[in-house]
Amino acid sequence: MKTSRRVVITGSGAVCGTGLSPETIWEAVRAGRSAIQKTRAWNSNGWAARMAAEVTDVDNRTLVEDRKLHKSVLRTDLFGLYAAGMAIQRSGISAYRETLPAEAVASFNDRSGILAGSGGGNYRNNYDFFPLLSETGDDLQRFGRELDGMVNPMWLLKILPNNVVCHVGIRHGFKGTNACITNQGVGGIMAVAEAAAAITAHEADRAVAVGHDTPFEPETLFHYHRLGLMSPDTVRPFDQDRSGTVFGEGAAAVMLEVLEDAQARGATILGEWLGTGCVTEAGGVVEIRPDGDGLSRAIEIALAAAGLGPERVGMVVAHGNGTAASDASEVRALRRVFGNDIPPVTAFKWSVGHLIAGSGVLDLVLALAALRERIVPGIATLHSLDLELAPFPASPSSQPLRHNSALVLCRGFGGMNTALVVRGPDFSSSP
Amino acid sequence: MNTRRRVAITGVGLVTPVGNDAPTTWANLLAGRSGISRIRGFDASGFPARIGGEVKGFDGPSEELDRKLLKFTLPSHRFALAAAEEALRDAGIRPEPATSRRWGLSVGAGMMCTTFEEVKTVHAHCGRQGEFDANGLVDGAFPADPVAFCRSQANTGLAVLTRQFGIQGYATSVHTACASGGQAVGTALKVMRRGQADFVLAGGYDSMLNPIGLSAFCLLGALSTDNDAPERASRPFDATRNGMVLAEGAGFMVLEDWEAARRRGASIYAELAGDGNSLSSYRITDSHPSGDGPIQSMRQALADAGLTPEEVDYVNAHGTSTLMNDRSECAALRGVLGDHITRVAVSSTKSCMGHLIAAAGAVEAVVCALAIRDGMAPVNANHGRPDPECAINLVREKSKPMDIRAALSNSLGFGGSNSTLAFRRPQGVP
Repeated sequence: MKTSRRVVITGSGAVCGTGLSPETIWEAVRAGRSAIQKTRAWNSNGWAARMAAEVTDVDNRTLVEDRKLHKSVLRTDLFGLYAAGMAIQRSGISAYRETLPAEAVASFNDRSGILAGSGGGNYRNNYDFFPLLSETGDDLQRFGRELDGMVNPMWLLKILPNNVVCHVGIRHGFKGTNACITNQGVGGIMAVAEAAAAITAHEADRAVAVGHDTPFEPETLFHYHRLGLMSPDTVRPFDQDRSGTVFGEGAAAVMLEVLEDAQARGATILGEWLGTGCVTEAGGVVEIRPDGDGLSRAIEIALAAAGLGPERVGMVVAHGNGTAASDASEVRALRRVFGNDIPPVTAFKWSVGHLIAGSGVLDLVLALAALRERIVPGIATLHSLDLELAPFPASPSSQPLRHNSALVLCRGFGGMNTALVVRGPDFSSSP
Repeated sequence: MNTRRRVAITGVGLVTPVGNDAPTTWANLLAGRSGISRIRGFDASGFPARIGGEVKGFDGPSEELDRKLLKFTLPSHRFALAAAEEALRDAGIRPEPATSRRWGLSVGAGMMCTTFEEVKTVHAHCGRQGEFDANGLVDGAFPADPVAFCRSQANTGLAVLTRQFGIQGYATSVHTACASGGQAVGTALKVMRRGQADFVLAGGYDSMLNPIGLSAFCLLGALSTDNDAPERASRPFDATRNGMVLAEGAGFMVLEDWEAARRRGASIYAELAGDGNSLSSYRITDSHPSGDGPIQSMRQALADAGLTPEEVDYVNAHGTSTLMNDRSECAALRGVLGDHITRVAVSSTKSCMGHLIAAAGAVEAVVCALAIRDGMAPVNANHGRPDPECAINLVREKSKPMDIRAALSNSLGFGGSNSTLAFRRPQGVP
């Protein structure tokens, strides 16, 4: 069902291992550059999997000016605040608000939403209790008695999953519909989907959607490695030698609003949201259906919502996390929908790593850049396509864009599969 | 927008400190019985607050459930499985192969993903000196447990619930602190209206009643330390209140298309009629004294439901029993209800159950559905001395029989997220 309200993207922001803006991150993709290297976070000599796409040499003040926040929120939140702030600032929405009469500002803010996809499972938060545990051993009574003074009194507030929603609101004055989606890998892209849906349903007139995560921590890496999900060197999506994924960290955000509003204030339009599909395979925490059923259903739902036939899809930004099972089932899902006419496929985790909750929005931000330049960038680490997946239109070199639209795929634990369709900024050509 | 889909609540399930199913919980809430007692799940005797709303005598979800799956669950997930199973049984409808893709799931999930025992194991191998040493994980002695890892993912609850019940459609897991459960139910309503699902299992689950969760709230000074009078410790809107009481549990409801529910002859508790969702954008824990924030969420919920303040007969307040929340929420109620403030019955069932955090909004949504069905406003227990700043029409001393045409449920979270849900009596649905 197509509603009359059209939703466009008027600002984007991003930070990850390859850069501090959508442009620098895009340039790295185009240049075949990756942020993946041996972690510098700890001495990892005994670790079989120890690669990461970390954000290095970036001062907290570069991310968030307010020093007070550096200690009162987590690093993942600083990334989220940075990306969301950039998307808001670049959309020009705050500058526009300043032109409004004072009495209109309150309702403007009440109609401005914040949707975040936030990473979870931060084991490191628990380590703040280690000094107390060392001190008190198995004596829980002492643990309770000596708590005060041994642990940061604001600990709970520091680790709130919804801190980005809270602080984007305080910093930018948005007070409308909001959610913090803690749905592991698909949290960020679902934030975009929910933001767009809120606007089409008149629950908000505009919203910033952000995905942020810092999945790279020793305990997470250790367990993922034991499950056979981590690569010892790099991410090679769809390659016969693919060996797993590599964590990245960072955030990405987009500002969404009503097309007419954006046009009326002369905003630059980066693209148009057309539709989203979201389903679960119901298989459990880490199981993936080999036949790609969940993902193909998500794609079909998204295309139907967008009113777009498969033949009108310009490119696919694959999840392409470089693991054997996910990549293979992703190709099967695409074949189920597109038959032997799959549009040109790219993927970005070889360059930026897997940002988990941040991954889908970063892929979307890069898809918008690809649509602007009308090019499907190559996957630099793809040397020999897995023959069992062939024919499959992924390539180490760039390919021409087929139409003015992109299908962005994102998957996560819990059998989650999402697909999102966007149109490029060139409104003179139909998707 | 008047072609908009109407959404019926056709099944409910609860696991709470006052009962391990909805009928028991409801009977105890109506009787004003407290579920707050000395914490027995672990030795809390050294903590400043040693009382809580524990789930008692819970044997885990019923026999029909997949026992293997239970390995992958935290206590809060087991509460969720039991409450969800009850809701589905109560509704008399559940996902079948032919309908599973049209079933959705929307949950407010607790933020704590690891058990205290697991934290202690990591401490023993990697943190004996007090600092975390990553290399303790790879020295060969650390017991790598993939099941414990699966248990500790942010969306493990979603994974377990969708697998157990075969839900294959839209699925989401949200967390906005104490607003989580309300926002999850609100999201479910939107998913139904958008046509992304024809049935949604919606709810919330949480348990922070473990040494680290209790520590977190003690450190903030948010908890009542009335350790010698646990049953009276949670007394929302009372002049002597001195903090909230931490509790645990789960609440779930089955939502389905109004017409479809009618056609199959389902018994309908209430219409889930509207959702309001706002952000205070004020301070992280403080609420604005004027009620700004909750005012918007309540107004939105009313407008969304097509209700006027005149039609509201009952409000299940957030009512945490902290000075700041209670006063600010009363200011918001005054702002929205205006002159009707003297007529609309208000109670906080946290007075009996304590604060179920991410589950609270979903549990209280179920309470509103039951209140409408039975024409009973549950009592705000433990209210002795009125706070002049909280001049509202509180349901005092005992639960009150009354026709409830429409009800609101507020859930206001740390971080400033506010959720208000609006419910309408089935007979009143146009």
